[in-house]
Amino acid sequence: MSDRIASLLPESWSGAAWAATALIHVALVLCFVLISVAFFVWLERKVSARIQDRLGPTRVGGRFGWLQSPADGLKLLCKEDIIPAAADRVLFRLAPYLCFCPAFAAFAAIPLAEGWVVLRLDIAALFVLAVAGMEVFGVILAGYASGSKYSLFGAMREAAQVVSYEAPLALCLVIPVMLAGSMDLTTIAQAQAGWFTQWFLFHNPFSFAAFWVFIVCATANTNRAPFDLPEAESELVAGFMTEYSGFRWTVFFMAEYTSMLAVCLIASIAFLGGWNGPIPWTGWLGLSHSVHPLLGFVGDCVGFVNVTAKAFGGVIFIMALRWTLPRLRIDQVMAMCWKYCVPLAAVMLMGATLWLYVFPGGVIRGVGGQWSPSPAVATSWTNGGERE
Amino acid sequence: MVAITRGCDLVDQRRRAGVSFIMIAAVVWQNLLFWGFGLTASALAIGVVVSTNIVRMAVCLVMSLAAVAGLFFLADAPFLGAIQILVYVGGTMVLLVFGVMLTARLPSSSMRTNAGQWVAAIIVGAALLAVCWQACRGLAAVCARADAKEHSAARADHAGRTTTEFGLALLGVRTDAARPNGGAPVAGQGYLLPFELISLHLLAALVGAAYLARSRWNSRQNDHKRD
Amino acid sequence: MEYDVGTDQWVLNMGPQHPATHGVLRLTLRTDGEVVTECVAHVGYLHRSAEKIGENLTPRQFIPFTDRLDYLAGMNMNLGLTLAVEKLAGYAPSEKTRHLRVLAVELCRIASHLVAACSTGLDLGSFTPFMWSFREREKIQLLFEELCGARLTYSYITPGGVTADAPEGWLERCEAFLDQFEPVIDELHAVLTSNGIFVHRMAGVGVLSAADAVAHGCSGPVLRGSGVAWDLRRHGEPIYRSMYDDYRFEVVAPVNGCYPQDHDYPPVPPQAVVGDSWHRFYVRMLEVVQSIGLVRQAIKKYRQASGTVDAPWQVKQKLPPGEAYLETEAPKGQMGFYLVSDGSAVPWRLRIRSSSFCNLSVVEKLCRGVMLADVAAIVASLDIVLGEIDR
Repeated sequence: MSDRIASLLPESWSGAAWAATALIHVALVLCFVLISVAFFVWLERKVSARIQDRLGPTRVGGRFGWLQSPADGLKLLCKEDIIPAAADRVLFRLAPYLCFCPAFAAFAAIPLAEGWVVLRLDIAALFVLAVAGMEVFGVILAGYASGSKYSLFGAMREAAQVVSYEAPLALCLVIPVMLAGSMDLTTIAQAQAGWFTQWFLFHNPFSFAAFWVFIVCATANTNRAPFDLPEAESELVAGFMTEYSGFRWTVFFMAEYTSMLAVCLIASIAFLGGWNGPIPWTGWLGLSHSVHPLLGFVGDCVGFVNVTAKAFGGVIFIMALRWTLPRLRIDQVMAMCWKYCVPLAAVMLMGATLWLYVFPGGVIRGVGGQWSPSPAVATSWTNGGERE
Repeated sequence: MVAITRGCDLVDQRRRAGVSFIMIAAVVWQNLLFWGFGLTASALAIGVVVSTNIVRMAVCLVMSLAAVAGLFFLADAPFLGAIQILVYVGGTMVLLVFGVMLTARLPSSSMRTNAGQWVAAIIVGAALLAVCWQACRGLAAVCARADAKEHSAARADHAGRTTTEFGLALLGVRTDAARPNGGAPVAGQGYLLPFELISLHLLAALVGAAYLARSRWNSRQNDHKRD
Repeated sequence: MEYDVGTDQWVLNMGPQHPATHGVLRLTLRTDGEVVTECVAHVGYLHRSAEKIGENLTPRQFIPFTDRLDYLAGMNMNLGLTLAVEKLAGYAPSEKTRHLRVLAVELCRIASHLVAACSTGLDLGSFTPFMWSFREREKIQLLFEELCGARLTYSYITPGGVTADAPEGWLERCEAFLDQFEPVIDELHAVLTSNGIFVHRMAGVGVLSAADAVAHGCSGPVLRGSGVAWDLRRHGEPIYRSMYDDYRFEVVAPVNGCYPQDHDYPPVPPQAVVGDSWHRFYVRMLEVVQSIGLVRQAIKKYRQASGTVDAPWQVKQKLPPGEAYLETEAPKGQMGFYLVSDGSAVPWRLRIRSSSFCNLSVVEKLCRGVMLADVAAIVASLDIVLGEIDR
């Protein structure tokens, strides 16, 4: 995109183009995230309402309550902003932003379509895991700074839970990384081009199981029920958010939805083929950059819809979980992580490795699989990292 | 250090392109971000030293380390940046948790440093500064040499040096070492032993910390019993 | 600087304003990390001098106050006072009145158990069954509204009889409700009783032995959940027991670890221990089924009964001198009313034995050494109503 903007401007302005590109990218991603979050607020109300035999929002903005999210936002902005007397004022103010920023920063490396990425990194998967893991920092800080025991309980739970679940989460993500032979999320998605049988979800039984372990760990990592212990309302009132109100509370809320969207996007890219639809019809119609840039753009738009639809599907799944299941206890959460998720993820990783060794190309040689996976990369590793 | 290498790179490119203004603009942006991250990291590092509240200290440390990670990203070293976040920032987070757990009931408690500790800290700090200074100067010399060399040659020199190589070396396979018969790299020449030794060291530290914590706790329990 | 490594004990104040304390219960918990080492219950935040008010009003005037004791089961509270007064007066209402009373009381028991069972789910973080059960309870309240004009504070069963006969077509609507309600119980079983997480959170948590339950004066589902098959509808005083004489129902309790009849409902999970939170919950769910049967029988018997429904006494009707104490089986347990009369219309003394008060007394025993989250589960499984505890 930088090139395109640079081509519009006189040559002597390319430094400005660089800055403009960065800003435009960030603005686009911010728009995407905020609109999604607003949509999720509405969606969560509708999903919960449908599950609970209610109607949900119907009043604001027409029959389906489309304007419910802006109405909620306006209400939250108008609320009184309270800082408890016992709070550490500086950290209390800082915490919500430290919670939201990492969740948002993770989007810098997440491709939303082929080439639609702010920063294409070789190690995007690692980057996303590292940055998204920093979200716990804001939560711990909020718990400490609130000067409330309930908040501190919530923060301690969050710390224990998120630090634990990062291990199986990363282990599960290693499988698609290994199958694609790259930590670059763009490459991982490209490796799944073709029919849906090329998706890593269907690559082998181990990656299929790993996907579900990944979803469980992602749910735990984003504090969604049944793992919402840090904000368990029946024990801890609202956990680390107990003392927050108004805008700062909204920021926490946005952080939760943002990280939920982030993990679902990663799941859709790493396991569900990313921007590749179940049927490669864009390829048949010639919607690719090699034919014409405009057609390529249309193809990218279709890809964007694909990846977003998959991610939103994941979000709806996580929402449905929340409105169906009771909450686990903290010892059960930890036991589930270390007794089930970690060993399962490890076994799946080993299984997938062996599978790759026995069937180097995968078993289902789907129609139109154009990508030859890891052996070449594996060889290049032993040859001293001379890739391409 | 990072800025210097980056600067070298940019100066290099500028000469190659022969166009001054564009690259100056780019340099300005780079420098702006560099100074932003650098000053943040330094200011927060000072905050770590000055602050008397253990949690605020940890917060400053975390953010300082994160700013350093930003510098790595700026220097096109995303792997180092991600690892910086994962290891250092994550590790400090655990420190933060402990800090909160240990001092949560004493909000007014402050950590004071006595004169002896100040002296020791200044000596260690000065030594570290000297080492860093020397390293910076050495790097500047390397940059100057690279500058003098043909650009493509410098590039070629760098081409094979990726983190993959380093990772393999940590696992015991040195890809850059001399290969007998020019064949596959030989296992056992890498940094596996030091790597494992460090791990063992960390484990020992963990066990030691747990032991210390436990004995104190027991003695405290006994105190309670005596009451 | 001197820092101790090792966790300190904290005092955590749970309530009186807290989402899990069902009103204004206050628990002070001493916690070691997540483990509760001590739990002290403080009551009295909802004290309204109900007993003293009862000594200044005639029983007929006091009936609306009984509605506010256990406000989730107003009918049962009405019945408790009414029968105590009728026992004092040696009065027996007509057959038709009796069946209508059984109908109202058992319908109210369903409503109360629905709230109890599904707010347990709410306390475990499962919001949906709560909404489902409130949807059903709403229908019961609509029925009651039609019957007596009130949705929560009925004042329906009064000394002498009931305030109104069932309106035209009401019994049919009751039957229609029961028909559509029965499948809903299966849905609730699916999301709660047999849900893996729910079982893990409830089974083996807060085990109350039968001996402890008896020693603390527990009653109702809390006692029966511990394996003591004791139900005043079967084992109570004649004046109360005779109300249910010709009714068929089972006392639901896991005697020797087994429930009396092999129901069509989810089996007892292997983790469950008799007397734990899961059994207390399960007893309530099964009692709902028993109550449905009782309501159906009551409808049938009411239709067959001849005569009329008795009207209430006059407001200032004099009571014979003497004293009377009667316990009835309310949804929460044994609710007792004690009256001493000096021959005037106003009782000289009135005392209330609260079921939830005794049931709550075990909370300090059950909440020792459990996790913080278990406290919510245990309190929920005890099913307390503060209006009744504080009186």
